[in-house]
Amino acid sequence: MSDGLYACVRAAEFPSQALLRLRPDLQSLPIVVLEGRAPLEQVCSMNRLARRQGAAADMTRLEAESLAGQSGGLRLLPRSLEGEAAARAAMLECVATFSPRIEEASRQTACAFVLDIRGTERLFGPPRALAERLRTALSAAGFLTSIAVSANYHAARIMAAASRGITVIPAGDEEPALAKLPLALLETSIDQGETLSIWGIRTLGELAALPLADLVARMGQSASTLHKLAHGTHPHTFQPIEAAFSLREFCEFEAPVEQMDSLLFVGARMIDSLVQRAATRAMSLASVDVHLELEGKRAHRLTIRPALPSIDRKFLLKLMQLEIAASPPPAAVLSLTLSAEAGQSSKVQLGLFAPQTPEPSRLDVTIARLKAIAGEGRVGTPVLEDVHCAGCFHMSDFAAENTPVEEQTGQPRMALRRLRPPLAVRVVLSADQPAGFFDGRQSYKVTASFGPWRSSGCWWAMDSWDSDEWDVLAQSQGAAPLACLLVMDRGKNEWRLEAFYD
Amino acid sequence: MSTRSATALRLEIEHAMERSFPAALTPLQRTMHETAPSGIAEVDALLEGGLPVGAIGEVTGPESSGRTTLVLSFLAQRTAAGQVCAWVDADDAFDPESAAANGIHLRQLLWVRCRKNGKSAQQRQAAKLFAQLDQALRATDLLLQAGGFGAIVLDLGDTAAEHARRIPLATWFRFRQAADRARTCLVVLAETGCAQSSAAVTLECAALRPVIAGETVLRGFHFEVRREWQRFTPFVMGQKKPPACVRPAIGVWDTGQMG
Repeated sequence: MSDGLYACVRAAEFPSQALLRLRPDLQSLPIVVLEGRAPLEQVCSMNRLARRQGAAADMTRLEAESLAGQSGGLRLLPRSLEGEAAARAAMLECVATFSPRIEEASRQTACAFVLDIRGTERLFGPPRALAERLRTALSAAGFLTSIAVSANYHAARIMAAASRGITVIPAGDEEPALAKLPLALLETSIDQGETLSIWGIRTLGELAALPLADLVARMGQSASTLHKLAHGTHPHTFQPIEAAFSLREFCEFEAPVEQMDSLLFVGARMIDSLVQRAATRAMSLASVDVHLELEGKRAHRLTIRPALPSIDRKFLLKLMQLEIAASPPPAAVLSLTLSAEAGQSSKVQLGLFAPQTPEPSRLDVTIARLKAIAGEGRVGTPVLEDVHCAGCFHMSDFAAENTPVEEQTGQPRMALRRLRPPLAVRVVLSADQPAGFFDGRQSYKVTASFGPWRSSGCWWAMDSWDSDEWDVLAQSQGAAPLACLLVMDRGKNEWRLEAFYD
Repeated sequence: MSTRSATALRLEIEHAMERSFPAALTPLQRTMHETAPSGIAEVDALLEGGLPVGAIGEVTGPESSGRTTLVLSFLAQRTAAGQVCAWVDADDAFDPESAAANGIHLRQLLWVRCRKNGKSAQQRQAAKLFAQLDQALRATDLLLQAGGFGAIVLDLGDTAAEHARRIPLATWFRFRQAADRARTCLVVLAETGCAQSSAAVTLECAALRPVIAGETVLRGFHFEVRREWQRFTPFVMGQKKPPACVRPAIGVWDTGQMG
């Protein structure tokens, strides 16, 4: 008997659990998961409902399809290794909140982790209480698991594979607890299995009852290991793994998805999972990268970047919805991947006398909605370019900031109202000065003109300019006088109405 | 009877009657209406402090009437006070260089550029759904609902007056309520007044004469601003009714250098 205490968490039929975890719409349907290359696919995993309908492992696709034809409602899904990797990471993230020492004990299609829970009584109570909390947490994350607690590593692992729900083996009672379990739970070689079968050994208890010396004399030293495993006394050197903290969720659809609602239905579950995983580390989501794999081997990528890191599920989902609405995928979606970056939880210290500013999370949603209305790149803060060319600027993301109060003094300057794009006009010249112009609808008589103000630049690049600017006072019949900016493009030899003074 | 003796008599009567009729001679306390300075002394004098906070202010006039300069000057004051502002540009006419020259902190300005007809089929479809004016009204609605903005400018300066007048009165009423709740100055920049009774103040701008330096440089303009409509005047809580006087309805101001 060792001094340790181990809890083995086992999610059986992991390929189907990984697929159904993010798809609540499929959880009430019988599902089988196929793997292999078409047309030689075989059933590798299934859920409880499918098993009731007669599905079994290693069935061929044809058999599964005929079963689906008979029973109706049986769904055949392809295995997603990427989805399983994301689900494994989520499960590991969840169990890591109960113990830092974890060893992976996955076998075949089951995903299992053994936790060293020695010394956790003060935190989580007795082993059964810990197991119940652990199972509840995993259930909330979408995993149906069996948990076994024992002082022996292998006893916990074997019992978790053989039982459902929670089993706690008291220290020293490993042998009677394992006695009735089938021999198939031990990973025996084919020869060993045949020999034991010929001897009529079916359970671990029957194997444990055999005299060790005689068993080793007949089957070799490897039988000693089997004997100790059946006794629940086989020692184990614990090899903890380091769980890498990565916030990533993946979901592959069985058929291309075109409707955004279906996409968001799955996306909501994925955001939920990411938020929970970040929250367990007292962190928030600083940005979420949405990667959509489309039909025709194309990809569509979006990034949700709230002003402040957030764990508000509804808020992040709304941002995702607006982002997808603003730039919808050009083709049907095959798979959805969400990768998040964790950030420190948002805490903003507001000042009692500071001027009011928009609430960051609300402002994010508002800006996303504005982008959906006005278009991408048309909502933000203008940033002036450090060039001599007039009217050069670019748009950047808007972030509400509190700046120190400054006294604004000085006389206001005459402002321009730009015409975008500039309006081509026909100009009548008199003594090399504009005397009138026609904008396509109306003729204007120039009462005064000031200029030309010549400027040029970037002659070495494509966006070069060479123009004469005229400040013009103009009058048309029955209209108020105008002050406008006429530009003569010397490169193209054409006149443009660039702006009005207002 | 002199003014002083009338005041003394009034006080005496009030003291005598205050127990029997506490409100008989005292005017009701009224809400104090906050104003924000426009940065142009003549306009502030005309409006007794500036444009109203938590209400709709209209700045109207034809092109080259100084309306944009006035609004930019107002925004410069708001951003200098640490406020965050928004400019909803129905016609994509806003000039960031002019804004910066007038002292607006561009980092505190959210600019919404309503789009014109797009090139792709998808953009054309979107443009069909949201005409520019409709986009501007939706954007203003969203910004007012979001709250926290010191001022929001709805720029309909290049929108035809007949289109702007078709904006339903219910929309302006909703904007007025939202601006009041959010304590935001909603400034409507238009050719003619369109908010009607929902506007707290309407200013009519016009150009008087250009300022020319040395006959070769257009330095600026003299502008005239006329108060067309003012719903309420700034009123200090508990203040007695001020004596009637003629308030100026017209102000004249000028710009410095060209933007």
